[in-house]
Amino acid sequence: MPPALAAHPMTPSPMDPSRASAPAAPLESDAPLTVEVRGLTKSFLEEGRGEVRAVDGIDFTCRAGEVFGLLGANGAGKTTTLRMLSTVLRPTAGTARVLGHDAETDGEAVRRSLGFHSASTALYPRLTAGETLDFFARVNRLDPSKVKPRVDALIERFGIGEYADARVEKLSSGMKQKVAIARTLAHDPPVLIFDEPTVGLDVLNAIALLEVVEELRAEGRTVIYSSHIMSEAERLCDRIAVLHRGRILAMGTLDELRDATGLHYLQDIFVHYVKAAEA
Amino acid sequence: MNTLGTLVRYELLQLVRDTRTILLAVVLPAVLLPGILVIGNLTTEADEERVRDTSIGVAFLGSDSGWARSLVERAGTVPDSLVGDPLSMTFHEGPAADSLIGADGLQLLVRAEGPDDRGLPSLEVRYRASSDLSRSAADRLSARLERVRVALRDSLYAAGGLPVDPAAVLPVRTTNVAAAGREAGALLGTFLLPLLVAMMLTGGSLVAADTLSGEKERGTLETLLTTAVSRNEVVAAKGLAIALVALVMTVLNVANLGVWVGFGLMEIPAALDVSLTPGGLGALFLLLLPVVALLSAVLLLVSGWAKTYREYQLWFAPVFLLMLLPSAAAALPGLELRSAVVLLPVANVALAMRDVLAGRGDLLFGALAFVVTSGAAVWASSAARSTLSTERMLADSAADRAEFLGGPALFPYRVLRWFGLMWVVLLGLSLAFGERLGIRGQVLVNLLGLFLGASVLMLRRYRLPVREALALRPVHPLVWPAVLVGAPSGFVVGIGLAEITGVFLPVPPQVLEAFGQFLLPEGMGLVQLVLLLAVLPGITEEIAFRGLLLHGLRRRLKPWALCLVVGGIFGLFHVSLFRILPTAYLGTMLALVTILTGSLFPAMLWHALNNAVALLPVAAGWVAPDMALPPWAWPLAALGLAASFWTLRRVGAGYPGVTRPEGGG
Repeated sequence: MPPALAAHPMTPSPMDPSRASAPAAPLESDAPLTVEVRGLTKSFLEEGRGEVRAVDGIDFTCRAGEVFGLLGANGAGKTTTLRMLSTVLRPTAGTARVLGHDAETDGEAVRRSLGFHSASTALYPRLTAGETLDFFARVNRLDPSKVKPRVDALIERFGIGEYADARVEKLSSGMKQKVAIARTLAHDPPVLIFDEPTVGLDVLNAIALLEVVEELRAEGRTVIYSSHIMSEAERLCDRIAVLHRGRILAMGTLDELRDATGLHYLQDIFVHYVKAAEA
Repeated sequence: MNTLGTLVRYELLQLVRDTRTILLAVVLPAVLLPGILVIGNLTTEADEERVRDTSIGVAFLGSDSGWARSLVERAGTVPDSLVGDPLSMTFHEGPAADSLIGADGLQLLVRAEGPDDRGLPSLEVRYRASSDLSRSAADRLSARLERVRVALRDSLYAAGGLPVDPAAVLPVRTTNVAAAGREAGALLGTFLLPLLVAMMLTGGSLVAADTLSGEKERGTLETLLTTAVSRNEVVAAKGLAIALVALVMTVLNVANLGVWVGFGLMEIPAALDVSLTPGGLGALFLLLLPVVALLSAVLLLVSGWAKTYREYQLWFAPVFLLMLLPSAAAALPGLELRSAVVLLPVANVALAMRDVLAGRGDLLFGALAFVVTSGAAVWASSAARSTLSTERMLADSAADRAEFLGGPALFPYRVLRWFGLMWVVLLGLSLAFGERLGIRGQVLVNLLGLFLGASVLMLRRYRLPVREALALRPVHPLVWPAVLVGAPSGFVVGIGLAEITGVFLPVPPQVLEAFGQFLLPEGMGLVQLVLLLAVLPGITEEIAFRGLLLHGLRRRLKPWALCLVVGGIFGLFHVSLFRILPTAYLGTMLALVTILTGSLFPAMLWHALNNAVALLPVAAGWVAPDMALPPWAWPLAALGLAASFWTLRRVGAGYPGVTRPEGGG
């Protein structure tokens, strides 16, 4: 197994089911560590199933300028992980830190450091696009003197100037998507979370969104990108964690995953790990 | 502060842009309500005019109809100024019967009866109450005939030799010494707060309905909660927005009525011409502040609980009535601020405002009312904050987990609902039947029907293990002597505490006397008294309160809080206001006994002994009802109580799952 590839310590390696794998190794980079997740666990109760561990003791770290992909099928635990990271949910066990701030004890500092975008987070329909950006910049405690220049810059960057004074409820879905991403960046956060962001988008809007993520990486931000769409992960992610039933089955760069499995396509790699875990 | 301002500003901005809500909930009522009042006034006036101006058809019956007609004609000549309303009559000839009243312009039948066995004739005016014309005619003719009757009577007195004018015999005058402004203030004070509360609740609801429940429904709340704002800021901002809109809507409604009054389309009754000093006005404003805060927090709490806009609307109606009820306290006769009511949020402010308006404001108790209602507002805000727990909105919480598991796990989350429902039923029974049930009826209905019945239902519904839920455990033998000493000692200490609290919250002696008569009705034997008022409450009330209530709350509260909450709830079930504090004291002691011993049996004996000590000596005639205790009784009782709790703490096994309170003895 290559040194940078780490299967989750709780999960037998798919290559050698009898052997426990090594703990997660950090990305070999000089970039500063921005996100650190250790033993993160979340349990729920589900009708007919009793207590279910949606996330089961996962570990990973992210660095500045990196797109870290959480790849998993629906119900794998991606959204729960990201909600814990953004302090929306409290972990049952383990820790999550963003820029050194603990998500459980210093939630406000964590939230100030990150922007959260998902298909389920909505916008206020009766505010205009400009007001939306102004509102989110302010509530994320951006210095008041920087709010207007920041809002103007975002309006220009996302090309929504023509619609800046239109209410969100009147905008097309593509335009709403742009406003939603812009509002995530309103306070200029160093860490961004994109949770299944292309769900419900048409092809052109989805591609536009992927381009934004690439720009954000180029700006030196950390992006945690969750998806079940393999092509997106292949295109975007510097490292990928394969998540299944709340556990990380494997983690590494795409090349490392290819080397470890002998398979080329991410879809095949994903299926390989999942089948090995199910076996 | 900047973040708070931003949250409030954008909250209000979104409300203002909600055109449909503004039109339906603000503009339309503002136009319609006074319009309806004006139309109602115009219709009433037109109707009164029609009734007044229509000539009344009168027919005569009986053996002496000629005499009757002469009296009615004479009644017609009584000046309008003496009787108020004019009356024009047409006399009908021909057949007359009850069935004809209301037809062909006939409104009244006047029957003249011949002289009775004393030789006195009489008149009967027959009318049909289902016809407003006939009813009004009967009233007006009767008033005039009364004048004629008095004139005839007085002429007979004079003819019989009465030396003075009959009207000059023992004239009685009543004189109102209250300044007109203060009398008006007292009147206004009875309905001012309910009116304001109704306006504020409907106004504040415009924001509340949309603010948390609406945001949950749209998915914007999760967006907001992933930003840097804290939950406290969200609650403060939304509460502030609700309060602002509630106040603005109230001012708008009052101003709207003012405009209609200014145009002369509505009239303010002269009886409401209040005179108020600037200080009084300031006091009213100050008193209103905690009410506004409480109403806003309660609306926010409801919005937080509701998962959708529609669910909020379902909750709103009962909450509206629940908040309106205490605000009407000033309309209840005999209710004074210097009583246990001062501990009841909103009701205390209603009484304080009434007193200020009537020019007899009470600074100490007014301040206490302010503090108590403010405290309730803080509690409601804190509860509203807990609804923002994203665990609850997005995932399972402890309560959801319990809901999922059901049975005994769910009981701790449902027990307060049960007791809330039981309290409502008890209050309803008390209002509907009051003391008409008598003490035996109340014992049967409340103790056996309500407390025991509900306890059995709870045990069955949540499949609770009876021995564990009711703490039916054996105790150390020394517990029993401790109870035998503790119960009478606790009773005497309670009397001492009541004397001290009576300085601040005096109980009217007539209330005490009436209660004593109710508890000790004549004809009730001593055995029956002990069974009904000592043994039965000792069993049934302990099963309900120190049994199930304590069991349900034991893991949710710290030991001292558990004692106080169980005791407080027990006190609230003794609906009469002056009994709440003493029974809460008893309930708290009994909860402590149960926690220390881990068993319900000692509390049962303590409760029964307490009631027996309170009633038996007087009922048996061993002591006079107004007997004063000697001064040495207080320290002796305090010593006995302390020794009792010390023993219970030493030998008691403790309640499983509850840490024993420190310093329990």
